[in-house]
Amino acid sequence: MIANDLLKGTLRTIVLKLLADNRRMYGYEITRRVEELSDGKIRLTFGALYPVLHKLEADGHIQTEVEYVGKRVRKYYSLTEKGRSWTQQKVDEFFDFVNTLTYVLKPTPA
Amino acid sequence: MEDSVIDRNLERIRKDLILQGLTYDPLTDDLLDHVCCMIESEMESGSAFESSYDKVMSVIEPGSIPKIQHQTLLLLDKKFQRMKNFTYLFGLSSALVTIIGAFFKRMHWPGAGILLTVGIAMVVLVFLPLYFIINYREQTEKKNPIFGIVGYLTLFLLLAGALFKIMHWPGAGILIEVSIAFLIVGFIPLYVVNVFQKGGGKKRTLPYIVMLMVGIALIMVYSHINMSKYLLDIYMEESLINETSLEIVSDQTAGLIELSSGNAEADVQENISRIHEKAGSLQKMITMMKEGMITFVEQPGMPINKIRDIDNRGAGREAIVDSGLGREFETESRDFREMLKVLVRDPVIMAQIEDHLEFTGKVWPYEHGTSNIVNDPLMKNYYKLTDASKGIALSEYVAIDYLLHQQ
Repeated sequence: MIANDLLKGTLRTIVLKLLADNRRMYGYEITRRVEELSDGKIRLTFGALYPVLHKLEADGHIQTEVEYVGKRVRKYYSLTEKGRSWTQQKVDEFFDFVNTLTYVLKPTPA
Repeated sequence: MEDSVIDRNLERIRKDLILQGLTYDPLTDDLLDHVCCMIESEMESGSAFESSYDKVMSVIEPGSIPKIQHQTLLLLDKKFQRMKNFTYLFGLSSALVTIIGAFFKRMHWPGAGILLTVGIAMVVLVFLPLYFIINYREQTEKKNPIFGIVGYLTLFLLLAGALFKIMHWPGAGILIEVSIAFLIVGFIPLYVVNVFQKGGGKKRTLPYIVMLMVGIALIMVYSHINMSKYLLDIYMEESLINETSLEIVSDQTAGLIELSSGNAEADVQENISRIHEKAGSLQKMITMMKEGMITFVEQPGMPINKIRDIDNRGAGREAIVDSGLGREFETESRDFREMLKVLVRDPVIMAQIEDHLEFTGKVWPYEHGTSNIVNDPLMKNYYKLTDASKGIALSEYVAIDYLLHQQ
């Protein structure tokens, strides 16, 4: 398992990237996909996911389509144009960060 | 098409979620679908609906649903987010202003007082109230705000007391006493109760630990002043007595010198004026050191009884040690003693003089005393200077008197 405090700042980027790679996804699907991709190391609870999704929607980075599954409503989330370029920026930022961190943390040759 | 078992139970699930505190509709749709997906996934492995549903609901921690909703709504509340950003930015900049002010104060640059006052006022009047409001609004279950309020008042009083103390404003003592009382009978018991009630949550302890440390530091500073207040009083009284004696002796010496002019022989006259000149230049150095210390604490021209309580240990270091005046004074006063030794042949009179100039050997052991001067508060160093000053005046008088009567 990856510690929660390490994950905190990157959750938004993970969600955005998943939506960039898939046309549209619903909440449960996102949590399953994250678990799958991370080999079970990242367990995204719905408590962490939905506040982020709603915030991204309110900021205009993602949009929702509603579909009925049986009697219940399912909300599909997808990136807006604005969200797409922003995602790229966030992903780049993240890799930049990881590279820097790798460089800083790598053991120095004696 | 026949309804699935989940669709048949949909309203029941919805009601259960609402019962847990879900009221925000856009979130209800998300969570309802999510929970249904979880049930479906359980059922795929062969469980019946009821046991699957029970299992899923048992995974959801009690209180977690209102928490999600609260967090979502706060994230969506633009005004709240702006307020939060503003508070953090404001806190950071006011801390910066305070630290710069403290640095200015340490360097004795102008504007330190304004910076410190503005910085601490920003922290106390704007940042802290905002911080406590935000903290309170972010709690899902509203805890009793009494802890926050007492905490705020304690911090308010502590910081105000520190500011008053630094600025030498009247009322600092009372403020600090009241804030320590708040800390001991209000904040600490509440804090202990709070920690035991919560058990786990360590996240919010940092600001309170900082606060506790500020309090403890202030208690230490305050108790130190309390301890030496009695001594400071003694040093002040002695200094005032020394200064009065100095005036009287100087008048007497002036009378002697007036008497000698025209009456004494030329070589005696010359010796007397050499002594008087030397003693005068030593007195001038002492005055410079005294004034230097008083200027150092930014109270130029203040009489000593008005600044008795200014516990600034930098004054002696700056005005006596770093200025080089102390060292110069030490050498010059030794010269003075040697000069008198040559002129005064009578061992009894010379013993008297040595007694008056004792500070050159014991009271004023500059070589060994540097650390004393650096570590002593202004009042004590001021006393040492008046003592040396009186000693010089007395030995000057005794020496001139001896020279006049010797003929």
